[in-house]
Amino acid sequence: MRTEDHRDWRLSLGAYALGDLPADERAAVSAHLEGCAECRAELRSLEGVAALMALADPDRIEAPAASPPADLGARIEAQIAAEASRERREKRRRRLRLGAGGAVAAALVAAVLAIAILPGGGSGGGGESSPAQQVHFTSVPNGVSISATLEPHAFGTEIQMYVSGIRSGTLCRVFLRDARGRTFPAGSFRYRWGGDSEAVLSSALDLSQAAEIGVHAGAQTFTAPIGQATALVGGAGTGSA
Amino acid sequence: MGALTRERDVREAYSAHSGELFGFAVRSLGDAGLAEEAVQETFLRAWKAGDRFDPQIGSLRTWLFAILRNVVIDLGRARAARPRVAEGGVEPAVEPLEQALLAWQVEEAMRRIGEDHRRVLLETHFRARPYAEVAAELGVPEGTIKSRVYYGLRALRVALEEMGYED
Repeated sequence: MRTEDHRDWRLSLGAYALGDLPADERAAVSAHLEGCAECRAELRSLEGVAALMALADPDRIEAPAASPPADLGARIEAQIAAEASRERREKRRRRLRLGAGGAVAAALVAAVLAIAILPGGGSGGGGESSPAQQVHFTSVPNGVSISATLEPHAFGTEIQMYVSGIRSGTLCRVFLRDARGRTFPAGSFRYRWGGDSEAVLSSALDLSQAAEIGVHAGAQTFTAPIGQATALVGGAGTGSA
Repeated sequence: MGALTRERDVREAYSAHSGELFGFAVRSLGDAGLAEEAVQETFLRAWKAGDRFDPQIGSLRTWLFAILRNVVIDLGRARAARPRVAEGGVEPAVEPLEQALLAWQVEEAMRRIGEDHRRVLLETHFRARPYAEVAAELGVPEGTIKSRVYYGLRALRVALEEMGYED
């Protein structure tokens, strides 16, 4: 058989597989298939797809493809972020209930604790995602305790502040600073006795860029360094009246 | 990419697959609002179960589609449980979900092949028009129509394989 003939037969296989050939041509192709293993194999590879075509709706094919609303991704991220911080808060509450006394004592020794805890994630420890960090403010008056948990997010940093011992009703404004001293506000909260002494805030500064966290509490400002896991004993925070 | 536990992984997965997932959700639920809900729920479930995703076992796309399929079933059940608005109204025939997924994949594959191939397959096969008529309309020899059907079918197979189709 000549190559062009063979090529002609092959080109008929699409229409053949779809059942769209007129009867006489179909009979001719069938006869060729009898004696041509190559064309039989080619036909087999087209038959499955040809059969699936029956499921498709031509009008749907030509209709413009539906695309999700532009803000759906952001909504999903926000929902996941909210879910994640809810889970973290529950975890943290359980931890606090278990060992409140020890935690305070430890906080006095270690100025900065960086704890790599992310729910379920980062187990590879490849350092590609910066872990959550816990920061204790050391230069605070007796009886006052300020700490923060910082979590990296796509939007920046989520900050959970834990405050106790300051005057009820004090307005606390939280900020992050990067290494170049630029300040990124993280929102504010009012401290209340007896209420929930933790506040969840967020800042646009990426956690990996954050060098310092601070709180303006009334007339006072407290700061603490963020970053290196090394515990700085004493003098880590700078309190100014 | 390993497990899908980090929020950044979810963002990447969303930008890679949300279009297809949404397309299928609209196709099977017949409602853009419900489809949004389905896609949102799919990514939330994917994130929650992210540590169970193993790229060694299957692709992220396949995994997300499996979750979406469950979400669509759940949404369908919830919708069926709601009281009917109109008594005696005709319920649209419900296409079995597996078949809907296949149908959507074929339609999506048809959208992905070249315009020349798509046009010829649509006219000759779906609309059952004679090859000669389509050839005259497009101003090409009839043999060209036949070869476009052949190459179009092959292209369709490749497009389907990219979506995970196997014989």
